[in-house]
Amino acid sequence: MASKQKKMTPQQQKYQQLQQKHELKRPVLKNCIKAFWVGGLICTVGQAISYFYIYYFDFTEQNVGNPTVATMVFLSMLLTGFGVYDRLGQFAGAGSAVPVTGFGNAVISAAIEHRTEGFVLGVGGNMFKLAGSVILFGVFSAFVVALIKTLLGMWGVL
Amino acid sequence: MVYIIRIIISVCVTLLISCSQVQTEKDSQLALMKTTNPNPTVTEKNNGQEKVESIEREVESFDEIYDVAVVKGKKETLVVYKVKHMQRFRMKQIEKDLNKILEEKHPKEQFTVSSDYKIFLEAVRLIERKEHGNLSDKQAENRLNEILKMTSDIK
Amino acid sequence: MLKGQQSWIFQNRPMIVATGVSGGPFEANGNLADDFDILHEDLWMGMDSYEKAQRVLLEEAITTTLEKASMEKEQIEFLFAGDLINQITPSSFAARTMQIPYFGLFGACSTSMEGLALASFVVNYKGAHNVLTGASSHNAATEKQFRYPTEYGGQKPPTAQWTVTGAGVGLVTQNVPGQQHPVTTSATIGKVIDMGLSDPFNMGGAMAPAAADTIMAHFRDLEVDPSYYDLIITGDLGRIGHDTAFELINKSGLKLEREQFQDCGLLIYKDDQPVQSGASGAGCSATVLYGHLLNQMKKGVYERILVVATGALLSPLSFQQKESIPCIAHAVSIEMNGVGG
Repeated sequence: MASKQKKMTPQQQKYQQLQQKHELKRPVLKNCIKAFWVGGLICTVGQAISYFYIYYFDFTEQNVGNPTVATMVFLSMLLTGFGVYDRLGQFAGAGSAVPVTGFGNAVISAAIEHRTEGFVLGVGGNMFKLAGSVILFGVFSAFVVALIKTLLGMWGVL
Repeated sequence: MVYIIRIIISVCVTLLISCSQVQTEKDSQLALMKTTNPNPTVTEKNNGQEKVESIEREVESFDEIYDVAVVKGKKETLVVYKVKHMQRFRMKQIEKDLNKILEEKHPKEQFTVSSDYKIFLEAVRLIERKEHGNLSDKQAENRLNEILKMTSDIK
Repeated sequence: MLKGQQSWIFQNRPMIVATGVSGGPFEANGNLADDFDILHEDLWMGMDSYEKAQRVLLEEAITTTLEKASMEKEQIEFLFAGDLINQITPSSFAARTMQIPYFGLFGACSTSMEGLALASFVVNYKGAHNVLTGASSHNAATEKQFRYPTEYGGQKPPTAQWTVTGAGVGLVTQNVPGQQHPVTTSATIGKVIDMGLSDPFNMGGAMAPAAADTIMAHFRDLEVDPSYYDLIITGDLGRIGHDTAFELINKSGLKLEREQFQDCGLLIYKDDQPVQSGASGAGCSATVLYGHLLNQMKKGVYERILVVATGALLSPLSFQQKESIPCIAHAVSIEMNGVGG
C-alpha cells in the first residue's frame, strides 16, 4: 500500500482521505461471528454425514473423508442450483466460502452462469474459472510439500 | 425456499428413522458419542479372560485414554481406544507408547492397536453380539479377522 | 452553442416528447415500480440468455416510446444507445431489430446522459427531427461480465452496488412552442477523472470526483447558481459516492442544499432491498430519469433539473491488471417547456 501511495499525486491522496471518511467499512467483528457460526454449522453437518458413513457403511475414520466431501459438495451444488447458496454467502462470508461446500459453489455457479454459451465452450471452458486456481495451487503446493518430505527423508532428517 | 428446506428435512428424518430401525444393538448406537467401556471379550470361551481384563486395565491406566475395547482372538488381540479430545494432537505418540507397554508386559501376545472410531464401533458391536449370544465362537473369530483386516487397510 | 469550456446551450430547446421504461422483477419490488411502463416477472424475459434479455428490454422501451408518441420507426432519424456489455451488443442488436440509423455509445453508466446530450445537440441544430436515445443494463449480464457468477456465494462489501435491470428510452424532437413537454436546455460534457481508486466494489467513491467536477464545470460555464435548479440528481453514485460528491462540491464554494441534491441509485430501490450502497448500471439513470423524474416534472414537482450521470470506465481486464478506475460524468439540464427563459 505504501509503494502504491507514492505513485499518486497529492490531489489523489487528498481525495482518497476524504473518500475514506464516507466509505462504509465492512463490519469485521460481526462478519467473523457470523462466519464462525455458519462455518461451524456446515462442519457439524459434515461431521454428521461422516458418522453416518462410519455407522452404516464400511468406512473407517481415515477414509470416510472422501465420501463425506463428495456428499457435501453435492449438497452445496444443489443449494447453488436452488439459488440459496449465494444468499448464504452474503450472510456468512468466509463461513460458507472456506469449507469444501464453497468450492462446490464456485464450480457450479460458474457452470450455471456460462450455460448460455453451450456445453463445450460455455460450461466446459468456464466451469473452473473460479475453482481452477484452487485446484492448481492446491496440487502445486501438495507437490512442493511432498518434494520437501521426500528430500528430507533421503537425507535422513525424517 | 421454505418448501425446499421442508423437503430436505423430511428426507433426512426418514433416512434417520429407517436406518435406526435396522439396528438391533442398543449400546453401540451411541458408541461414538459417549463412553461405552465395553467388557473385554475373548472369541473362545474360557481362554484367557483374565489376561484380557488385565490388558484392559493397563490401557485404561493411560491418562490420555478414556474408553477401551479389547477383543482377543486365537492369535491376535485387538485393542481399540478413544483419546481425550485435546490429547488427539499426540495420537501417534500415544499409540507408540501403548504398543511398547503392551509388548513388554505380554510378550507372547500379538497386538493390533487402533484409535479409529470405525474400528471401535465394530469392536463394540462384536462384543455386544457376543454377549447376547448372537454369535458363535467361530463367527466371532471370523468377524474379528475382518475387523483386523480393516485396520491393516488404513495403515 | 458552445458556452464556456465544455458546455452546450440548446437555444432551440429540443423536447422529450415521449419515453419508454422497462424493468425486471427486482425493480418491480422497488420504490419506483409505478413509473415503469413494462415490468417483467422473469429475469430472463422469456429469452435463453441474459444478454438477449437485455436486448428485449431495450427493444420494448423503444417500442413503448414510439407507441406513446404515436410514431412509426421510419419517422425516427437516429438512435443513440449504449450499455455495459462487451462491444455494446444488446444496443447494437436492438438497433438491428429496429432498423433505425444508429450511433453506439459507450460511457459506462454515463451513457444515458451522453446519449441525451448528443441527441439534443443534433436536434437543436436541425440535424434531425426525431431522435431516440437510451441506455440499458441487466443485473445478471453485467455481474457476469464484471464480477462473479450470479450464484457464487461471495460476500459483497457494504460499498458494493446493485446493477439495475432495465432500459430507459426518450424521444427527442424539435420544439413545438406551447406544448407541455420537458425540454433539454444545456449539457456539460465531463472530463475523465481518475483519483486512483481501484476497488471495483466501491464505484461510488471512484465516480464522485467526476460528478463533482462536471457539476462545478456546469455552473462555471453557464454562470448560474445551484439554486437555479430544483433538483440536481446524480446517476448512480450510491450512498458513499453521493456523500463524498456533496462534500466535494460544498468545499468548492458552491452552495448546494442537501434536499436539492439526490441520487438515482438511492431512489430506485426500497431500503429493505439488499442492494448495499444503492443501485448502479447504465439503466439506473436512464430508467429513473425517463420514468420517475420526467413524470414528476409533468406533475409540476420539479421545474428545472440537472441530471448528472456518472460512469466508471473500467473493464474486467483493467482492474485485474491493477489499473485504477477512471471515471466520467455528463450533465444535462431539463426544464419544463413554457417555464422560465
